[in-house]
Amino acid sequence: MNATRALLAAALALTVAIPVTACDTGSSAEDGRTLNVLIAANTIYPTEQKRWFADVSAKFQQQAGAKVTFETFASPTDELTKIQTSMLSGQGPDIYALGTTFTPTAYSTGAFVDLTADQWTKIGGRDRFLPATLGISGPDATHEVGIPFSSRPFVMAYNKELLAAAGIDKPASTWDGLRQQARQLTGAGRYGLAVAYGDGFDPWKFIWAMSIQAGNPLVSDGKARLTDPVTVKAYQTYLGWLATDKVVDPAATGWKNAQAIAAFGAGKAAFLPMVSATSKVTLDKSAVAGKYGYAVMPTVPPGATSLPPGGVGATSILSGDNLVIAKYSKNQDLALRLVNMLTTAESQEAYYRTFGELPTNAELANRLVADPALAAIVDSASKAHGTPFHGGWSKVQLALVNVVVQSVPNLAAGKVDDTSLNALLTQAQSEAQAALDKAK
Amino acid sequence: MNSVLRLLPRPLQIGLTVILLTIVGAPVGYVFLASVNTDLAVAAGEFWPERVSVGNYVRIWSTVPLGRGLANSLLVAGTVAVTCAAVAVFSAYVLVRHRFRGRRTVLRALLGMQSIPGTLLLLPVFVLFATIGNSLGVPTIGTRWSLVVTYLTFGLPFSTWIMVTYLRELPGELIEAARVDGAGSWQILVRVVIPLSWPGLVVAAIFSFLLGWNDVLFASVMTDVDTRTAAVVLQVFGAAQEGGAIPPYGQMMAAALVCAAPVVALYLAFQRYIVGGLTAGGVK
Amino acid sequence: MTVTDPATADAPGTGDARRAGVARPSPPRRRRGATAGGAAVWLLAPGGLLTLTVIVVPFVVALVMSLLDLDQYTFRQWLSAPFVGAGNYVEAVGRTSLPHAIWVSGSAAVIATLLALPLGVAAALTTHRPFRGRSLVRSLYLIPYVLPAFVVGTIWRIILQPDGVANQGLATLGIAGGLWLNGPKSYLALIVVQAWSGWPLVYLLALAGLQGIDDSLHEAAALDGAQWQAKLRHVVLPLLRPPVALAAIISLLHMVNSFTLPFVLFGVPSPHDVEVLPVLTYVESFQNLRFGLSAAMAVISLVLILVPLLVYLRTVRLDAPEAAA
Repeated sequence: MNATRALLAAALALTVAIPVTACDTGSSAEDGRTLNVLIAANTIYPTEQKRWFADVSAKFQQQAGAKVTFETFASPTDELTKIQTSMLSGQGPDIYALGTTFTPTAYSTGAFVDLTADQWTKIGGRDRFLPATLGISGPDATHEVGIPFSSRPFVMAYNKELLAAAGIDKPASTWDGLRQQARQLTGAGRYGLAVAYGDGFDPWKFIWAMSIQAGNPLVSDGKARLTDPVTVKAYQTYLGWLATDKVVDPAATGWKNAQAIAAFGAGKAAFLPMVSATSKVTLDKSAVAGKYGYAVMPTVPPGATSLPPGGVGATSILSGDNLVIAKYSKNQDLALRLVNMLTTAESQEAYYRTFGELPTNAELANRLVADPALAAIVDSASKAHGTPFHGGWSKVQLALVNVVVQSVPNLAAGKVDDTSLNALLTQAQSEAQAALDKAK
Repeated sequence: MNSVLRLLPRPLQIGLTVILLTIVGAPVGYVFLASVNTDLAVAAGEFWPERVSVGNYVRIWSTVPLGRGLANSLLVAGTVAVTCAAVAVFSAYVLVRHRFRGRRTVLRALLGMQSIPGTLLLLPVFVLFATIGNSLGVPTIGTRWSLVVTYLTFGLPFSTWIMVTYLRELPGELIEAARVDGAGSWQILVRVVIPLSWPGLVVAAIFSFLLGWNDVLFASVMTDVDTRTAAVVLQVFGAAQEGGAIPPYGQMMAAALVCAAPVVALYLAFQRYIVGGLTAGGVK
Repeated sequence: MTVTDPATADAPGTGDARRAGVARPSPPRRRRGATAGGAAVWLLAPGGLLTLTVIVVPFVVALVMSLLDLDQYTFRQWLSAPFVGAGNYVEAVGRTSLPHAIWVSGSAAVIATLLALPLGVAAALTTHRPFRGRSLVRSLYLIPYVLPAFVVGTIWRIILQPDGVANQGLATLGIAGGLWLNGPKSYLALIVVQAWSGWPLVYLLALAGLQGIDDSLHEAAALDGAQWQAKLRHVVLPLLRPPVALAAIISLLHMVNSFTLPFVLFGVPSPHDVEVLPVLTYVESFQNLRFGLSAAMAVISLVLILVPLLVYLRTVRLDAPEAAA
């Protein structure tokens, strides 16, 4: 029949077309001696990153006789999509470099290798790492998926010239003190603080820091505590900087982190809290090059003059990258060998020298403390504190930021409306709790 | 003659063109100005660059594998465009010129499918491809052809509709005349229908080309290092280092313009097929 | 274009082979003539097969997912995830901002499309007849549609930020611009940016449609002594209706489903006034990892879009003026 012939012809054309075009695919993992690693694309050091990929590949070829290919992702969502599709299909990268705050979510999927004592030994032992950096590797010391790879603690940049001109000798160590200094520094078209209220991540880090300093870790024993008075106070303080204290440029309601850095870089703000050491690359090209310094952020919660009982003097969230190994990987032992190679003092030093990210290797980190330029950042690294290790944490994070996003219209109108803030927090609390309750 | 065919009086024509070019040009002009500015100035919302530098146009090629990305994009989107337009004209011809049960349903279903959001299909499509790949032993994920097949499918409904809309308006006499001359269906299609459908074909091709050109969602998970398309490669420019250095805005804008250039050039080359007047097709 | 990678050289074969596959079935049809139905239908088979694997089957899988309690804890063995029936649907309607998001997405898409239509038709009219530089103008009109969505989002975000160029411009006119990326006015920003990046699609279709109009109609109108307004209203625009209607539907669907633009423009979490559907389902799926719930949301929105669409399609003429029957 004609129809059958037509169909056959179509099928034939398709089957011919498929193998022909399939030939052009890269041959990965064909011999089982190739490791695939997924890592964030570095846009500030693109060529250096490429060279680092090549160096690691060559070295591993020499050490283990296997190839390493690196794939890069552009955004956390990009990476998450990759993880999900790989998990479902059982094919994809062998090793992922994950942001620390995403490690709890990754752990909860059960898709990554829960390291045994034996496996820890194969990567040089837990003792190889700075104890603080292991704080977000797993729910407890016997269940860990994340191997600390790099550390990016948050600090605060300050404009030395502006501070000196106002007669301030050093940045305050309490949030109240910082607000006071910011008031002093505001005027003549300049503002005390540069804060990115429109950023998708920054706001929760402030709220978390002020809350935990006042003794509320936001999640404890599977319960969300977002409506706790100290957290309300944290929001009032954070939003108040712009709305009522007027120490932040009103335009900051629309700023992402980049715009806050740009404002500080143009000399229009005295303090730039919540930046990591990588901001140095941008700031050294700005108008404030050579005129700024880094200090740890305040560790005393708003309304207090010293750390209250139960408070944790955290300077920063535990930030950086963890390496995790996929359970579906057919090359787990090889992956452990690569991780071992990447976390030696020697490799970590090369990484630090190239990208400016602090090491997690204890031996090297202890050597770096001596460097005065790094003092504040290394100090912050040792006083950083892990965010709650819970599979539902990413939802909590989102709920925390959402409160700020929905407060922006009020903020622009110059007020912190307690009624609407409480309503938003109640909603955030119930959403966060619902996410925590789903944990299995 | 020309005045007979003119649609708008001259002043209105000029006025409208200027307005439309301004609407397009103002933001695009800003993209250009930003592309020769420094990242810090762009982040600060500066309009006129204080210092013009074309360095971004040089740097983009080494920051990301843009050249390879563009080659991949041209290959994938080009294949999709040509195939899509060809399949669409056949399907549309069948749908317009033949009566069979369920014809209307096919047409409506085609458009209905356009409303399924990509995010809903992403995971299942991926798993399906991976499964097919594993069970048949052919590489799927990471290959260009899997991407071509995906875009082709998303592009077909709309392209077919364009062709249906277009073919439907073709004067039946032309086809009847050809048939009286003894032309078969195939000859009618190739000698009469296709030459008359160039404007529609070009639009269908452009549409499906851009589908592949601009997609990030499917390309980001279905390609690997070697097959990554330009749109995915470009995304890296939007990436900010957490709490640190600002995104390379200047390079992002430069790369966006560079990536838009091939499409504009292609349209520039093909738009001569969008010629007016059916009778000008000369089939009489 | 030069293909630098030799391995890629055989890929264009895909197109050729497939086209041949589609074209080859035609000759058999010749014998039975153009009036035959049965065989011709098989011409649709390749497209149908593709649609089945890339749209229909995945869609069914997505439907199944929407009935499961699928999240990061159950994802790895997704087939054994607990079956919750309509649970996700109930939660989506009752306990998320889905109804609000549907309203925002739908109404913004309608308004943006209504804005895009006159722009696109006007652009087509201005480039219909030849003039010096027409080909360049035609190509320039395409640029907003060609720029990647995330670049369009980024550039408009920078333009619209509180101290950005838009507000600087308004300030010189003595108008305080205020907040465009959050609060009530962000809805306007969404519409303007969507319309800006969407109108070239209308233009493309309208232009192709204009070229399809028989010159003799112009001549007839001229003989009747019709002025340009009358000719436009009574001759040209009615003939443009089918392609423009198609453009309207497609741009509506694209705008309702547009994700990257609002995502980059407003960020996540979305400000309440621009909490659009695709971003909501995306966040639920890729940030909160509630895949089942997200799939249910997408299905609900799909149904809500499909119903008016299909009602509309029933009124559309599908046949050729004198179909060869």
